[in-house]
Amino acid sequence: MRVLLIEDDTILGQGLRDYLQTDGHVVDWCQRLSATDALRDQPYDVLLVDWQLPDGSGLDWVRSLRRRNVATPVLVITARDLLDDRIKGLDTGADDYLVKPFDPEELSARMRAVLRRASGQAGPLLRFGDVELDLAAKDATVAGVRAELTAREWAIVAALALRAGRLVSKSDLEGIVFGLEGEVASNSLEVHVSSIRRKLGRGVIETVRGLGYRFTT
Amino acid sequence: MTQVTAVMSLPSMRHRLARLLLMTSVVWGLAVSAALGLAIHHEVEELLDTTLQESAEILFGLLSYNAERLPLQGGGAMAAPVHDEKTVWQIVGPGQRVLLRSHRAPDEPLLPRPTPGLSQAGNEWRVYGIPFEHYGGVLYVAQRAGERLDAHVSALLLTAGAALAVGVLCALWLRRQVRKELEPVFTMSSAVQGFDPLHADTTLAQPTRQELVPVYEAIRHLGHRLSARVASERAFSAHAAHALRTPLAGMVAQLAVAQRKAPAEMQVYLQRSREAADRLQRVVSALLALFRTGVELNWQRVRVDELIRYLPLVELDVGTEGDTTLMADPDLLAAALMNLVDNSLRHGATRVTLSVQSDSDGARIVVRDNGSGLTPQQLQALSGALQAQSYEERMGLGLMLADMVARAHHGRLALLPAEAGCAVRIVLGLPQAG
Repeated sequence: MRVLLIEDDTILGQGLRDYLQTDGHVVDWCQRLSATDALRDQPYDVLLVDWQLPDGSGLDWVRSLRRRNVATPVLVITARDLLDDRIKGLDTGADDYLVKPFDPEELSARMRAVLRRASGQAGPLLRFGDVELDLAAKDATVAGVRAELTAREWAIVAALALRAGRLVSKSDLEGIVFGLEGEVASNSLEVHVSSIRRKLGRGVIETVRGLGYRFTT
Repeated sequence: MTQVTAVMSLPSMRHRLARLLLMTSVVWGLAVSAALGLAIHHEVEELLDTTLQESAEILFGLLSYNAERLPLQGGGAMAAPVHDEKTVWQIVGPGQRVLLRSHRAPDEPLLPRPTPGLSQAGNEWRVYGIPFEHYGGVLYVAQRAGERLDAHVSALLLTAGAALAVGVLCALWLRRQVRKELEPVFTMSSAVQGFDPLHADTTLAQPTRQELVPVYEAIRHLGHRLSARVASERAFSAHAAHALRTPLAGMVAQLAVAQRKAPAEMQVYLQRSREAADRLQRVVSALLALFRTGVELNWQRVRVDELIRYLPLVELDVGTEGDTTLMADPDLLAAALMNLVDNSLRHGATRVTLSVQSDSDGARIVVRDNGSGLTPQQLQALSGALQAQSYEERMGLGLMLADMVARAHHGRLALLPAEAGCAVRIVLGLPQAG
């Protein structure tokens, strides 16, 4: 999952970035709103936004996103815990609101929840024929038999499964899976997709030549 | 409860006014009765005298019409049907001899010598005399004083009864009027109860009486001041919350990463640190809530021994005695205990013991330590400051926070003199926590 984290506090920002990375997510961390301008076209799955930032209000930034019809799930992380603040945060366009201090485990669970809702899924288990994906446990089974996926493979499967039926361009998928890593081999994605097909079945990921990939429903 | 009792014991304006009006009505009624009684007494007296005179004149006419045939020789009474004779008469001739009389009239002359006109015959008779020329005598017509007194008393009683009835009716009417006039006060009280100055959309209803305008203005200004103060407090609270919550969240996140990356032998220490950090998170949240206006407690059954296990306490041996279960807000209680134990540490204690005493009055947590203790003067000064909530002097943050937590639980913090084996005893009273 590709995550944009906007948090000005260094210790918290580093901690969350490292934690989410150990969770298998690709995290871009910014300490200023201005730094997000360069990332505007990146295909993020979820945005984690602090309310009070040195160069402006995270909530105003979320409002401007929604005005531009950006539907990416947003989770506001803030120290403001008053009921009025929570209501304001959610009414501005945030999908969830988490008050500091919080456990990173709870943040992860909430991220999965907002992603599920955004992709139209009610429960944590996604089923596609024989293939079953457990987003919380990061587990994939084929006809009840567990398939051993690497972290990268799981990232690809999760990214496509949460957009099941929709075409995901190769560049977007690379952005989700590899983030802003400088050197990614040109055929790296194909290699991973090929491996996934071997483990989950050939028909599970469809390649639309010249356009991208699609998880078959 | 104390507040309600205090309010109930205050004098009521409505009751006082009603009582005053009733008393005034009764006194006024009696005064009017007395004045009317004097007037009526005079009028009745005049009426009775006129009646007596008129009766005498009528009788004179009747007796004079055929005076020659009157049976005057025997001095006896005229024949008459049996009746209660209210007015008597007699004809007294020369030599003060009674020539003729009505059957209830005395056989002796009513007056010692011939007396025309109105006069008083002793205490018993009121007499009107007319010269009766036919026999050179006098015709007397008289009324008993008792009969006249009866007439006066009846008139007076009726007057007094009527005046009192009018007075009571007036009192009832005035009582109703008082209630009606005080109604705007009750209406304003209800409006004040529903008025929340912290919400801009609620306004205080305008008063409907001129006298209530100063009260209305005072409440409105008070509301403005309160609103401004709470806004400032909230702004401060938001800043304080940000300053406290963000580093804590960072610490928890870093610990979570460390837990994932550290070798197995470090896990137990990291887990303890996570638990302490979690506890600290809750304590910080509780303290922020405590300093915020309108805090509501999260009452739960709490075991003090379980609670202190997760407190970030170091360098100190903290133990408990007996059953330590009570009802309290666990996070606020943890904050209070943490500060009290920290106080002990700073005063040289190496051992702190907590015990819980519960009875029908609630629960008390007794904190004993072996630190440097307090001198009697310090104990007295601190106890006085706690009683008066004078936190700004003499007192450190620990005692202040513990007392605030106790007060949030409707209790108090108390310092007791040292006892054998213990330098200081602090009692955290939680009256509703038993």
